[in-house]
Amino acid sequence: MSALSPKKPAPESVAAAPSSPSSPSPPATRRARRSVDPVVLTLLPIIILAVIVGAVVSPAFLTTTNIIDNIITTSAVLGVLVIAESLILIGGYFDLSLEATVGFAPMLLAVLVSGVADSGFGLPFWAGLLIMIPAVLLIGLANGLMIAKLRLNAFIVTLAMLILLQGLTIGLSGGQTYAMLPDAMTYLGDGVILGLPVQAWIFVLAFAGAYVFMKLTPTGRSIYAMGGNLEAARAAGIKTTRLTIGVIVAGSLLAALAGLMLTGRIASVTANQGNGLIFTVFAAAVIGGISLNGGRGNLIGAALGVILLGVIQNILTLSNVPSFWINAAYGAIILAALLVGWVSTQRFSGRRTPA
Amino acid sequence: MPQAPSEQAGAEQAIVMDQVSKAFGPTKALSAVSLTVNRGESRALIGKNGAGKSTLMSILTGLTQPDSGSVRVLADGDATGTAGVGCVYQRSTLVPAATAAENIALARFPRSRAGFIRWSEVQRQATELLAEWEYAHLADTPVEQLEPLERKVVEICRVLSQGPRVLLLDEPTAGLDRGASQRLFHHIEKARARGVTIIYVSHHLHEVFEVCDSVTVLRDGWTVLTERLSRMTVPDLVDAMVGEAAAGAGDGPHAARAEPTLPPVLVASGVTAPKVSDVDLALRPGECVGLTGLDGAGHMQLAEVLTGQRPAESGAVTLDGRPLPLGDISGCIQAGIGFTPEDRHISGYVPGLSVAENATLNIMPRFVNRFRLINGRKRDEFYSRLAGEWHIKAYGATQPTEELSGGNQQKVVLARSVAADPKVLVLVNPTAGVDVSAKKSIYDTIEELRADGRAVLIVSSDDADLEICDRIVVMVHGEVSTELRHPFTEGMIAAAVQGDGTAEPDRRPSGEEDSQ
Repeated sequence: MSALSPKKPAPESVAAAPSSPSSPSPPATRRARRSVDPVVLTLLPIIILAVIVGAVVSPAFLTTTNIIDNIITTSAVLGVLVIAESLILIGGYFDLSLEATVGFAPMLLAVLVSGVADSGFGLPFWAGLLIMIPAVLLIGLANGLMIAKLRLNAFIVTLAMLILLQGLTIGLSGGQTYAMLPDAMTYLGDGVILGLPVQAWIFVLAFAGAYVFMKLTPTGRSIYAMGGNLEAARAAGIKTTRLTIGVIVAGSLLAALAGLMLTGRIASVTANQGNGLIFTVFAAAVIGGISLNGGRGNLIGAALGVILLGVIQNILTLSNVPSFWINAAYGAIILAALLVGWVSTQRFSGRRTPA
Repeated sequence: MPQAPSEQAGAEQAIVMDQVSKAFGPTKALSAVSLTVNRGESRALIGKNGAGKSTLMSILTGLTQPDSGSVRVLADGDATGTAGVGCVYQRSTLVPAATAAENIALARFPRSRAGFIRWSEVQRQATELLAEWEYAHLADTPVEQLEPLERKVVEICRVLSQGPRVLLLDEPTAGLDRGASQRLFHHIEKARARGVTIIYVSHHLHEVFEVCDSVTVLRDGWTVLTERLSRMTVPDLVDAMVGEAAAGAGDGPHAARAEPTLPPVLVASGVTAPKVSDVDLALRPGECVGLTGLDGAGHMQLAEVLTGQRPAESGAVTLDGRPLPLGDISGCIQAGIGFTPEDRHISGYVPGLSVAENATLNIMPRFVNRFRLINGRKRDEFYSRLAGEWHIKAYGATQPTEELSGGNQQKVVLARSVAADPKVLVLVNPTAGVDVSAKKSIYDTIEELRADGRAVLIVSSDDADLEICDRIVVMVHGEVSTELRHPFTEGMIAAAVQGDGTAEPDRRPSGEEDSQ
């Protein structure tokens, strides 16, 4: 019944009543100029700390090549996925099947455009895109309709979709890796514009675009409103069913883009591309301050979350942590980052402390 | 203070409250309330909102400790503290997917030595209890498949399974249709014959006469009357609830207002929806109309139809002669309807968004520049005009709405209802949960909006809200029963919402469809 009611209603005040008519309340003035996001305030020092650690651990860390080619470029795929998941999370839902789209979309394209000799259909690249994009739209639409119209649970819908898409990817490819790809398909991986890799450009521009979209457009704000309080958004005339479907479809398209970027980078598509990526996506989004309950968080924070994970992964690779232990270390650090984030949001935002 | 005439010598007392007082901060909720109920008696507890009923109930059930005075629940002559009162709440506390028997046994499952639940015992106890209410066959049915009346009985059986001396029923007929209510009364009567003592809390005064043999009336925390019901009538109870002074004072600030002569801006004709049957309503520009009724009378549902939140089964609503797109919220907003949702926490505001965004949530596209991006300054300027109009106290346009006091949150929600410059305002519970000064400020703004030529419909059960209206449309059982015009009194409202009494129980077919 009250699942949608806000977690922390301001105290319904017998006590606040006398103070309200004349004097401004003290907490108001204290935080009158709270322009900097507490999540950013928390993450920046942690990232700086990580960079210092990195510089100490390895002399190769603080080099332009490492930062641009390794950290930024390898974070770009994760970054685009985090944008996709963040839009959906802010809207009050989530989508597990994004990681399967990361594998499915490029595999479909690879099968369509590879030469007949390489067990493909030998279609021109544009024709492949003309089939792949509607297929991805269909995935998002199916998820969106089931979640928004049929009101099925997002967890189980997108889990089923994830299994279905992974199965399709294996079925399409017959389990084999497609490595003879046309140049157009690998451009996202090896292209360079103005001296910077295409992936770095996408990383920066996608986050900037998504931030502006969510911060400044009526649609973006409607997504925040919907995730913050679905009933209130609907009562304000926002078409929430349509918006939910739109957000989930947009997520699928972004996931397909991330898939093409990943394929471009490694110049091949494997049948298990993207598997297991979704957990890192959620970790980065949550570390970046995106609320799993919807309606809170912003894309700058999410970008910092991605960068932090990228830096940590890079340090682990450069340092002499035995490769078998890297995942364990990575998981422990993600947990630590979450705890530090929790402690600092307690400190920075007064509203979480009990009155 | 009048004291219980129902205390006859020799009758066995079930519960004795002696001079109980309770204050919350500066507010006195109960002042020296004494209450004695005999074993097997059925006592009605009535009073307006805020009279102290809820506090009294929570003291009886032991949830709240009184500041002074004593409460004794007597079992066979021994005092047992307050654990002897079992309360059946108005809202369901059942687990929908569990069976009736499991629900009855919940939290006190009989266990075997090994710690496992003894299902045969669960079954036996539940069937035994349900059999007393003639519902033994329901024990294995999941609660979600039961009728509203059957659920209520399961709820009562669960409370009785804990062996209370006194059964406290809070608005037990909420969500039941007339026929089901009658059957419930029949069951309660039989339970009473088995020696169950009942305290019956309700706003429906006619029900009280059917179920109870005595009544205690609370007003402003005092017991103003305790009497056998055979000596009372509905108007007597209304007088006691409202009080002499309030019943006489009828001239509010708007009493002398001229009758609006302009043609109606909003016309509803033959509107039928769940709980609303064939309602006609017309609002004129510059008119402030109240819409009220008891819980379940259909006034809330009518408001939802008028604002597009709920489709109508039949009938039509026109605004300025054009039909309203019923069931389409944004269509209604565009057509010129502004409204506040029923509950500000559930559907009123988005906690994390700023006050400016919440107040303009329905008109965001108005502030976009040529790149289709929202111009924050333009929005915040618009907001400051609204904030001035409603006297919203926040440190600025960017403060998150969740940080404001209840009264200011409510003002933000109210401000949004006028953001789109509507011709008709439908304000549901406009002053729910706000303090006195915020209330006053809200009324002032509503008065300005009315004087500005808007039609205002206030949907509320709060007498203070209705006091500012030119006329009040009263709904009973889904139909408009009366219309009160200034000067009206609280007593007239309290009597009108009860319906005309005599003809009423047979007015609706007993199998009437019920949405809750």
